[in-house]
Amino acid sequence: MSNFKIVFSGPVGAGKTTAIASISDFAPVSTNENASDMTRERKPQTTVALDYGVMKLDGREKIHLYGTPGQERFNFMWDILTSGGLGLVLLLDNTRKDPLKDMTFFIDSFRDYISQTALAVGITQTDIASVPRLDIYNKKLREMKISAAVFEVDARKQADVSLLVQSLLFTIDPGLEY
Amino acid sequence: MRDEMLSSILSELNGTSADIEASAIISIDGLMIAAMLPQGMDEDRVGAMSAAMLSLGDRTSDELGSGELEQVLIKGDTGFVLMIHAGKDAVVTVLAKPKAKLGLIFLDVKRAAENIEQIL
Ligand SMILES: Nc1nc2c(ncn2[C@@H]2O[C@H](COP(=O)(O)OP(=O)(O)O)[C@@H](O)[C@H]2O)c(=O)[nH]1
Ligand SMILES: [Mg+2]
Repeated sequence: MSNFKIVFSGPVGAGKTTAIASISDFAPVSTNENASDMTRERKPQTTVALDYGVMKLDGREKIHLYGTPGQERFNFMWDILTSGGLGLVLLLDNTRKDPLKDMTFFIDSFRDYISQTALAVGITQTDIASVPRLDIYNKKLREMKISAAVFEVDARKQADVSLLVQSLLFTIDPGLEY
Repeated sequence: MRDEMLSSILSELNGTSADIEASAIISIDGLMIAAMLPQGMDEDRVGAMSAAMLSLGDRTSDELGSGELEQVLIKGDTGFVLMIHAGKDAVVTVLAKPKAKLGLIFLDVKRAAENIEQIL
């Protein structure tokens, strides 16, 4: 049995907690608490420490899934949670004011980690806001000299999140079987 | 008015024991509501760390069968950090000296937390 750890990050409301719940093989650990900040306008609760779930692949590989809080005041958790991780799933909410700026901010914040591991980007809520489109994100990533797969995902859909995670795992280890 | 009452609870708390060095009231999502912290200590960090620790304490206590969380206690070689719920939407965080008499501090902080809960 081998163990992998990957980390989900991105702004508040992007769907990190939902995504981990969608693909975890057991009830995830979450630390959702009532929001009193700006988050409250979007959703009632917010992650203050971490989300945790596990996804098993073909009965031998275990993927440990850790989600971070989205607000910058929790960035000490970003450091803690990335330790020992093999990749980052960055979720971006297409309905936010400037999701490209969100992407740049999170890539800059996780730059050291990404440079040693791998990155996959998932754009959520594209059913509500169809722009910016994927080619815009890809262009920005090329400008930033970052290589990463970008998908539209609905964090509520197991198949969507699973595909995103698998594309990340494939970048980490092309030999993995699903 | 509310802010003044909260501040006065904190200054009273800091006054009850010479071992209490600082205290703060924080929303459960990590934002400072009232604080009496040493100069230079970053309120945002204290707030976010308190919220993260308390939330993990809640989950751990529950999942490992220790029941409802009463407090989180952190011991470092130069002091203690104590965190207690003040109702379900706030946390009281207290910094105490390394030789502090914890039993007394627990009682004082618990009483302060009950008063804070009334006001919030
Ligand atoms: N319409 C729509 N809602 C989504 C999509 N992905 C996630 N959501 C919802 O967006 C919210 C995301 O909240 P949460 O998972 O707490 O976000 P977090 O702050 O990143 O952990 C949830 O209410 C999800 O049901 C999507 O693709 N479309
Ligand atoms: Mg969350």
